[in-house]
Amino acid sequence: MGLLTILKKMKHKEREMRLLMLGLDNAGKTTILKKFNGEDVSTISPTLGFNIKTLEHRGFKLNIWDVGGQKSLRSYWRNYFESTDGLVWVVDSADRLRLEDCRQELSALLTEERLAGATLLVFANKQDLPGSLSKEAIQEAMALDDIKTHHWCIIGCSAVTGENLLMGVDWLLDDIAARIFTTE
Amino acid sequence: MSLAMETSPSQGNGDEKPSETVKIPDRLLKRDQARLEEAERRKDIKEGRSVTEEKSDFFSTTFNTERATIDELLSICTEANRENATKILEEATVKTQQLQKFLNDSMMFLTPYELRQAQATLQVLLSTISEKRDDILPKKKFAFKSRNVKSKPAESPSTSITELPKSASNRDTDADAAVTPVQCVFSNVDSQVLIKRADEIQQQDVLLTHLTNCKVRLLGSPSTLHIKHVRDCEIMSGPVSSSVFVDQCTGSTLAFPCQQLRTHNTKDTQIYLHVTSRAIIEDCQGVSFAPLTWTYSNMDADFAVSGLDKNRNNWDQVDDFNWLAFDTPSPNWTVIPVSDRKTSWDDLVPASSE
Ligand SMILES: Nc1nc2c(ncn2[C@@H]2O[C@H](COP(=O)(O)OP(=O)(O)OP(=O)(O)O)[C@@H](O)[C@H]2O)c(=O)[nH]1
Ligand SMILES: [Mg+2]
Repeated sequence: MGLLTILKKMKHKEREMRLLMLGLDNAGKTTILKKFNGEDVSTISPTLGFNIKTLEHRGFKLNIWDVGGQKSLRSYWRNYFESTDGLVWVVDSADRLRLEDCRQELSALLTEERLAGATLLVFANKQDLPGSLSKEAIQEAMALDDIKTHHWCIIGCSAVTGENLLMGVDWLLDDIAARIFTTE
Repeated sequence: MSLAMETSPSQGNGDEKPSETVKIPDRLLKRDQARLEEAERRKDIKEGRSVTEEKSDFFSTTFNTERATIDELLSICTEANRENATKILEEATVKTQQLQKFLNDSMMFLTPYELRQAQATLQVLLSTISEKRDDILPKKKFAFKSRNVKSKPAESPSTSITELPKSASNRDTDADAAVTPVQCVFSNVDSQVLIKRADEIQQQDVLLTHLTNCKVRLLGSPSTLHIKHVRDCEIMSGPVSSSVFVDQCTGSTLAFPCQQLRTHNTKDTQIYLHVTSRAIIEDCQGVSFAPLTWTYSNMDADFAVSGLDKNRNNWDQVDDFNWLAFDTPSPNWTVIPVSDRKTSWDDLVPASSE
């Protein structure tokens, strides 16, 4: 069939996955990426373009793309959609004023054909902040229960403490692996 | 652990959807095809780097050739040549748009440096076109940006409601309705002195919103700070552990140490800053920066609480997200000249407001 199928097959032999991390600016995407990789998170600047990290985790090779979320960069997000196995949507759980903005951006992404096959992990980040909303509240604000097109899961986490980051990534890998590695 | 997992089996699969149903221009299909092939080649070769370089070479050659063509078009586009000028300008515009498209499509192969350079080049082309257009067609002003920062008058619901705004209905996302008592909020205040001590704000997420003509002192170390819809205020804060997020702020003076500063839709505002990573602006005009000079008695202790490095201040390294030409400075922000910097601050005594 299409080139994409071939591509996927090849990729699967290598047990390689491509994860795309998106979300509004200030959500904590880069901090999550660096924390997950055990790097210093105190020197992170707002992302002007994107960061790519290749990590080995549980025998998988993960290519993680972290793209800047400032308003002026969002129109470029589509350039990173191709061959995405997992979409990680990061929400600042304490940023109540932009929840609606956040919901709209996510729902626009989910209609993208090139992301149609991707598993969705929502990180309700910054749970360490006393004023943060619970993951249930974020689930409702993002209208996750309305999503019928993607496998999804929401995890409350903190990029600063590292809480639940691993749990989220593990769920994502399991879901992707079950979907694409076992069928052959 | 309760995973809210959607179990419906429906799984979109990009492969099985050729585009017969939707009409996609040939040109786009071709480009998409080319990209897929490129992606395949990338995967094909174990050492992906060589291909990336190749691709990146191809990119810069094509990009520079196109750019030269556009430059040439623009150079013959003069007032003396008025009757043809309109057409030439049109052609240059179309070509520039195509070049932008080409850049977008190539982004995943480029290094951040190449990307910024290419974006800077495009910026220059676009402004040259804009200038030419103004010269040749003086009546029809061609505007790239019409982002006039308008600050909306403060609507006044100050009540704290614990419920979330249920989806959609309200397009304006500033619904203050989402504010719960758990968060430290100071809102809808006019012409007052607001002093908050450590016991109220220490390691809390603080929101200051809909303030006019106020003097605010946060004498502690907030975990994060949001400043939104603020006009003619003087806001100072102790060290903020993570980011300060400023939106729709006009005619104000701000001062604080923080890890990141993200400034949006802000106009005519002075910022006395200690920032350990970076400050950025987006959709801003007339924002000026100086190193932080304001202090208060317990500031050192609060620095320790915040975890910020006191010896590291990048206050003058400001990234403007609307200005990617890194060799020409952004017109949207400036450094406050040393002689104009404020060196003494009102010593507000907490009791004075009562
Ligand atoms: N308290 C707290 N702060 C966090 C957390 N995650 C990120 N931050 C802070 O939030 C700010 C923004 O984090 P970034 O990682 O730069 O955000 P981003 O999503 O990459 O932003 P863009 O690059 O602009 O898209 C930084 O000051 C972080 O220290 C968290 O879990 N808790
Ligand atoms: Mg980032």
